[in-house]
Amino acid sequence: MIPDFDQQGKAETKEWAPEANAPAILLENVSKSYGRIFALSNITLALNGGVTGVLGMNGAGKSTLFNILMGKLKVSQGTVKLFGTDPWKNPAPYARIGFVPEHEKMYDWMTGHEFVSTFARLNGLTRDEAKIEADRVLEFVGLTDVVHKKIGQYSKGMRQRVKIAHALVNDPELIILDEPLQGCDPLARTTIMNVIRELGRMGRTVLVSSHILQEIERITEQIVILHQGRLLALGNLHSIRERLDKIPHRISIQTDSPKQLAKDLIDIDEVFGISFPDGQNLSIQTHNLGAIHSKLPGIIVENNHKVNAIDNPDDDLASILGYLTSGGRV
Amino acid sequence: MATKPDTRFQSLDRKASAIVEFTLRQYRTKKSTWVVLGVGFTALALIFLIYIDVMASEFEAIDNDGDSTDYDNDGYPKGQELRLGTDPWDDESHPGLFDPPVEPDPASMYINEDGFDWDVTSELGTQSTGIDDDGDCLESNKTASQKDTNDNGVPCDVVVEFYRMQDGQIYSNIESDSGVDEDPDEDAYAKEAIHLAFVLSIGKLGFVLLLGIFLPLFMATGLIRDEMNSGTMHFMLAKPISRSEVFLYRTLGYLGVVWPYVIFLGILGALVSGFVGPSDGFFRFADLGVWLAIVFATMMATLVYGMLFNALGVLWKYGIILAIPFAAWELGMALLSMGVPDSTLLRFSVIGWALMIVDAAAMIVWPNLDLFILMGNWGGSDDFNYLQGSEPLNFFSSKPGLGLSAFTALIISTLVLLFQAALSWFIGGALFKSKEIQ
Repeated sequence: MIPDFDQQGKAETKEWAPEANAPAILLENVSKSYGRIFALSNITLALNGGVTGVLGMNGAGKSTLFNILMGKLKVSQGTVKLFGTDPWKNPAPYARIGFVPEHEKMYDWMTGHEFVSTFARLNGLTRDEAKIEADRVLEFVGLTDVVHKKIGQYSKGMRQRVKIAHALVNDPELIILDEPLQGCDPLARTTIMNVIRELGRMGRTVLVSSHILQEIERITEQIVILHQGRLLALGNLHSIRERLDKIPHRISIQTDSPKQLAKDLIDIDEVFGISFPDGQNLSIQTHNLGAIHSKLPGIIVENNHKVNAIDNPDDDLASILGYLTSGGRV
Repeated sequence: MATKPDTRFQSLDRKASAIVEFTLRQYRTKKSTWVVLGVGFTALALIFLIYIDVMASEFEAIDNDGDSTDYDNDGYPKGQELRLGTDPWDDESHPGLFDPPVEPDPASMYINEDGFDWDVTSELGTQSTGIDDDGDCLESNKTASQKDTNDNGVPCDVVVEFYRMQDGQIYSNIESDSGVDEDPDEDAYAKEAIHLAFVLSIGKLGFVLLLGIFLPLFMATGLIRDEMNSGTMHFMLAKPISRSEVFLYRTLGYLGVVWPYVIFLGILGALVSGFVGPSDGFFRFADLGVWLAIVFATMMATLVYGMLFNALGVLWKYGIILAIPFAAWELGMALLSMGVPDSTLLRFSVIGWALMIVDAAAMIVWPNLDLFILMGNWGGSDDFNYLQGSEPLNFFSSKPGLGLSAFTALIISTLVLLFQAALSWFIGGALFKSKEIQ
């Protein structure tokens, strides 16, 4: 209750000193329920260093997880520790954390620079220090040109980047980004992905959520999959994919001559089924996606087929989730 | 992020001033701020205009003792005949028959010719005072007993008595000898009384009540709540800052708008009433002390209500609905404080304590206020013809409760209000701290 009279926003206070070797994030048997509905159930997770993607459909519990980490929600059961302390009880760890909220609403009447420098002062920076730091992080996210424009005039991608700058201004060890790529144009998307990868290279712990697999794939290999409040999978995306390869995959090819192409493809060992959904499309089934993708272009070029599109309809989050939730059976 | 040892000011120039500055700028961008401030200004400006109009008008002079009338039609008003010893009821007897004959005085000489000349203190006991300016008691050919109708042994005086009844209240009794201080100047009394009543009423109702409650109602309830609703609270709470600190600094930012506004309106009121009010010089400097207290009391009220309504906003999405019963209660308390200033209920309000500041200051700045009201209620004769202005003045002025002296009342009420503000902050901070934010 007593205000921080030093106003320094120190990462260490008398009540709390960081534990040596405490991981950035530690969740033990964490559940969060609203009445009888569990938004999160029994999550155990420890993260320290590197970029981790949190994948989940809308409503899977990603935002609940982040709100718990940011001390906005109180867990129903279990313990949460950020650098060894409970964020619900003590805001001190936020001196070492940056957070990019999912909410779209921002202070449209401020310029990007005002926004970042004002909130930097809440980290205990003086006015002058805050201005210098704001310039630094706004350059880091590539917004130097527009820092003195009102946020209201920013594009969606610029708004996301200014939020990231706001989160980075205290040079945090742990950065939590809730859906940072949502609604961004491709250029902003690339910039933001580069920023996140760069943070990972700098040795920071980064937690980034998305509901789109391809986005996460381009950023990191380490993923956490949430589904209906439960932790479905934790680990390397490639190892999860390898498990996926053991189950049949579909590849759908749009071509003018599906019958002729099918004749040429049936000879490949890995193909064990072909079907024709309609006159323009051809669907092949395989256990080995990688092998098909390496052989397919050669066959198409060799036999002079005209192909308009190749798609892997199963290569998305929904099918991974389908696989994981069905216990491996498809 | 090198942190070198710095001064207290530089230290505060971090979180606290960042949020205060941010809040001030945010108010500037909101239309509702300007609407609320504009409506407050317009309402008070209208009351100032009405006051100026009243002060510019003339109050009719009344011949309270009827001595300007020539009852016997001999050309001489009753007052002149009484003073010179002829019979005002007999047209055969008048000063024109004197040797040499006396010219009749104009009737206007006998209107408002005997005002109040009281020199009494508010001590308990009986005091003799008053001067018979027009000589219709002292110089008349009355007998000694007719000159001492109040029977206190002093001819042609006014007896003012203060006594304590069993209920502990002090009551007063006034008895004058016939013809003493019986024809006061209504216009002068009314202007002075209405002026004082205006300062007290606009101070208590316009400033402390209206501004004191409505500014926080519209400007403080959303300080935290609006941010929680829009999701922007996430930016502030993602920083190493405790929620009760955010609560405090947001409220300070609100005070940064409201206090200068209240001071501005207070200066405006002091200037208007100072230049327009009745005075010997060009400006009534004496009232400035009361205006100072009015502004101070309003600032304290906006502080307590600001903290309280901010806390109500945290408590519930529709905190303003919770705040309205408070406002209604406080309105009742404000009226109660004018009618029954000693009521215990007032101790359970904010406004009761804030109004105590105004009453205490009025008691210090206008020490003769009670006596002035007493004169007006007495009105020049024992049958209590109220002079114009004395009743509203009586309504709007009251003694600070608890039987305290003015200075003690000032200090105690200030301390109580500060305590109320601190308590509201404590509760608001605790509520905010236990609040889950989506």
